[in-house]
Amino acid sequence: MVTNDATILRIKHDVLYEVAKLAWEGKLEEMEDNIPYQMIPGPQAQFRCCIYKEREIIKQRVRLAEGKCPSGKDTRNVVHVISAACEECPIASYIVTDNCRKCMGKACQNSCNFGAITMGTDHAYIDPNKCKECGKCAQACPYNAIAHLERPCKKVCPVDAITYDEYGICEIDESKCIQCGACIHSCPFGAIGSKTFMVDIINLINAGKKVVAMVAPATEGQFGKDITMASWKTALKKIGFADMIEVALGGDMTAAAEAAEWAEAYKEGKKMTTSCCPAFVNMIKQHFPMLLDNMSTTVSPMVAVSRMLKEQDPETITVFIGPCIAKKSETLDLNIEGNADYAMTFGEIRAMMRAKDVELEPEENSLQEGSVFGKRFGNAGGVTKAVVQCFKEMNEDIEPKVMECNGAAECKKALLLMKVGKLPADFVEGMVCMGGCVGGPSKHKTEMEAKKDRDFLIGQADGREVHQNVKEMGVQDVAMHRH
Amino acid sequence: MRVTICIGSACHLKGSREIIQQMQELVKEHHVEDKVDLNGAFCSGNCVNGVCVTVDGTLHSLKPEDTREFFDKEILGRL
Repeated sequence: MVTNDATILRIKHDVLYEVAKLAWEGKLEEMEDNIPYQMIPGPQAQFRCCIYKEREIIKQRVRLAEGKCPSGKDTRNVVHVISAACEECPIASYIVTDNCRKCMGKACQNSCNFGAITMGTDHAYIDPNKCKECGKCAQACPYNAIAHLERPCKKVCPVDAITYDEYGICEIDESKCIQCGACIHSCPFGAIGSKTFMVDIINLINAGKKVVAMVAPATEGQFGKDITMASWKTALKKIGFADMIEVALGGDMTAAAEAAEWAEAYKEGKKMTTSCCPAFVNMIKQHFPMLLDNMSTTVSPMVAVSRMLKEQDPETITVFIGPCIAKKSETLDLNIEGNADYAMTFGEIRAMMRAKDVELEPEENSLQEGSVFGKRFGNAGGVTKAVVQCFKEMNEDIEPKVMECNGAAECKKALLLMKVGKLPADFVEGMVCMGGCVGGPSKHKTEMEAKKDRDFLIGQADGREVHQNVKEMGVQDVAMHRH
Repeated sequence: MRVTICIGSACHLKGSREIIQQMQELVKEHHVEDKVDLNGAFCSGNCVNGVCVTVDGTLHSLKPEDTREFFDKEILGRL
């Protein structure tokens, strides 16, 4: 994957690996303070000003890997700033570059309504105290001489939750943050990360508890065409999980329940939204609370599968594995009965495996627990397709208009329209990540890179229908509503 | 009211899931779904005798068998 953070990813993964290794050996508490010294032996610093800063950053990353706040200040957010790693990027957002020819036209100066632009000796100058960051000068300049400098983290945040403290260090406004995780991989210094449940999961496996993995529908294709659901099951069992189940089955369960809910709402003329993307749910809860009544009450595929497993055996500890950060916040919502106990990312589970010398190995594509529709829940538009399929299976003559929102910006727009009563559709499918879950922040490969392998693997699945699968898997009686 | 229950492995082994389940049932039983918001929390390192339960910012240490009494006193009693 072409990315700006290959080095950062390696460091993050190494920290997870070291923490996982000590946790498996039961030596974490005793040895955790050694990790920064082991990873940054010195005497030369590699990336930062000195080894002491590098070690402090590793120390904060270790805390995050252990599920603690990196700075020691305890807050509820899943996404956190690793303050020692934040490079205090410049905040002044419009600056004049050397492209400026101090031309006679001075379109920049003429376009500025705030008198912020003067002519310096070499080029134009923007007074940061007068600039209102409207961007007109940048558009007006015929030489593209005015650059828009924005902190990468702030730029990608869809809900404007990124601010900074008096020293310029990034801060997250937790009342706004929807835990989507977009900022995490945008930072070229790796200064944002998420708390992990990795150590808790390792401790519970070590304690002999029955821990069952639930693997996201977005997983197929992420690790090549040879890595099948069977490969995941084998590898997870090798490191001590009692079993593994495909969350695509939960996709079928959610689709069937949502279809029934939508059919009713459609007849009443009530507009509704989906509720399976946790960042989208957080967006509604925190930014559009007046629309809570329009949000589907059907639980997410993750919760559906967790409930099923806990019905079979209440002692089961359920762990979701996928490309999503916001899922971690969903597991923290204890108002949902039977919710998954923990959620983790591909990176975290792979570190856990590597620490036990286990890899995902090619295996025959023989395990199928979800229909093709459930499997496609991880793609933008997939939920709608599955629900429409359910209408067909139910012989409901409904052709609803669905606004399929691909990415946070479209989600926000649809919710705004809904808020003012101008939504030109009956339903909203909300996917905060571009492309759907396959574009999640903790993906292993991008949607396009994985597409061919994903299509190949899902292409091998049989053509079972949604309701048929729910029935044959014996899960038609699992309670599918939030309360 | 925001009630936070630690779901870290140490508290899990001390019965946090049992407490959560009981709390969910008690909330339903008393019809206070709109008033009580149950949340999970990552381990805050305050592992003592019981499970870490925070009610509106105040930290308590709770054993599963004391959940009902705690709910009456610290949650219903403060609503």
